[in-house]
Amino acid sequence: MFIKRQLAIIVMMSMGFLALVSYFLNFPTLREFTDKDAPQWYMIIAGFAAFLGCLNLLQLHIQKVINQQKNWQYSIFTLLGFLIMIVFGFFYKNVDAPWGAHLKDEGSSFYWMYNYVYLPLGSTMFALLAFFVASASYRAFRIRNFEATLLLISGVLLMLGRVPIGAIIPWWIVVFMYTSFIFAIIASKIKDKKVFFVSFIVSNVIIILLGVYLQWYLSAPLFLSIPSIQEWIMAVPATAGARAIMIGIALGIVAQSFRIITGRERSILGD
Amino acid sequence: MNEIKKYINNEYFYFLILPLLLISIYLLNPSNIFLSGNELSFVSILISCFIIEYFIQKAKGGGDIYMRPIPAMKAMEEAVGRATEMGSSVLYVPGISGLDEIDTISGVIILGHVAGMTAEYEAGLHVPCCVPIVMEAARESCKEAYLKKGRPDLYKDKMVHYVTDDQFAYAAGVNGIMLREKPAAIFYQGKFYAESLILAETGNSVGAIQIAGTGSSSQIPFFVTACDYVLIGEEFYAASAYLSGSPEMIGSIKGQDYVKLLCMLFIGVIFLFSIFNYYEISTFDIMNLFKINITN
Repeated sequence: MFIKRQLAIIVMMSMGFLALVSYFLNFPTLREFTDKDAPQWYMIIAGFAAFLGCLNLLQLHIQKVINQQKNWQYSIFTLLGFLIMIVFGFFYKNVDAPWGAHLKDEGSSFYWMYNYVYLPLGSTMFALLAFFVASASYRAFRIRNFEATLLLISGVLLMLGRVPIGAIIPWWIVVFMYTSFIFAIIASKIKDKKVFFVSFIVSNVIIILLGVYLQWYLSAPLFLSIPSIQEWIMAVPATAGARAIMIGIALGIVAQSFRIITGRERSILGD
Repeated sequence: MNEIKKYINNEYFYFLILPLLLISIYLLNPSNIFLSGNELSFVSILISCFIIEYFIQKAKGGGDIYMRPIPAMKAMEEAVGRATEMGSSVLYVPGISGLDEIDTISGVIILGHVAGMTAEYEAGLHVPCCVPIVMEAARESCKEAYLKKGRPDLYKDKMVHYVTDDQFAYAAGVNGIMLREKPAAIFYQGKFYAESLILAETGNSVGAIQIAGTGSSSQIPFFVTACDYVLIGEEFYAASAYLSGSPEMIGSIKGQDYVKLLCMLFIGVIFLFSIFNYYEISTFDIMNLFKINITN
């Protein structure tokens, strides 16, 4: 019980404290230990755990096949994949290269399996991300409230600003977009539809005439250029939001680490 | 002697004199025992730790601590209850990183609380792991949670199992589990990368109630889009303390909030000084105080 509970807590607290202290103390030996030796210890322990992981995988799927549990057929593929890679890794190399080096030899069966089965499967999963992004964007961009509308507008501006067509959109279309957005916000305040429509048209005409007078067709102000708007969205509101979250995350890490180092958070050890 | 003891036991000594003393020693750097260049980090960490400790002591002493309700944490029990009512299992994904990441540690800690709920409600629990050492830690956490709730009979080792170390193979494996078992509640708590959206969208397609939490700021938008509840930023790290309900843990969250308030004040001061500098009212560049010169 002492090894499982108290000793584990002592190791956890002391290692946490040493790692923190080594960052501030001018003591190279301690720094060497926390930077190199301690991670190596972790890697050794993780190596043993990897063996346990493989055993667990085999045990789970063999039991599934033997007991013919629900969906046991899939386990056959897992076990086959596991055994084939073990055979090609440890028993059959198909090339003259020495054992170990054959893993990186293009002619070896292991390399073939890695290159033509494992990598394409991984790439397929990664490629699926494009479709998931599309479905997630559809859900996020559905106009339900003011925030979702803002998300939609900034999303459209970002997409337009990042492609070549965004740079050739003329300034008067951007003016039209601005006025449409403003009138969409104040729409509920104007009851008479005729007044609303006339105000919208007149506003657009006045601003466009002003633009012609100010020769915006020669050089439009930055707020009327889609790529500039895109850059501003990324540099100002998006960065501000991301930094706020980053500050929160950093504070959360400090508090969590403090709880662990002082031994208050012991649930990780099952306490 | 009693006077000295009385003075040392005073909270002013602990939370005002002691940190000031430590900062002074660090800045004076006798016999060159401290690394120079890390002063700002030292002062920030020290102040943060003492503020957190102050609120922990205050909470332990029975001080009134108000915690704002966090919907994602309230929804955890509802999600487990829903899974029980539907006769489905709860799927818990602890991320794809090892125990050297604080996110994974937080994920495993929250798993202990969720396992306690599944033990109480007698709901099934499924924890597929990407890293074997996380599997071992998760098993220990779950076993203990079931034992604490007085239901060790419900715990089975195969609840927590290893899938694979590879990122996308793991995503494929977990997606397969979701599509075959159709869990009613899915928790994503840990460190996630590009697979976050693949997992969350699949979970959404099977109609599960999804609660996510991660410290990976780039993955938060994906979880916000596809999940019902998300623990954003510091909420994720505070979740375990919040769920434990113990006064000293809740005190630490309160302390964390005050450190955040301090950060906001600093941002405000820097903002004001920047305006003064811009209009040449003041020439003092306050940013020099906050520039970190990290010595590795």
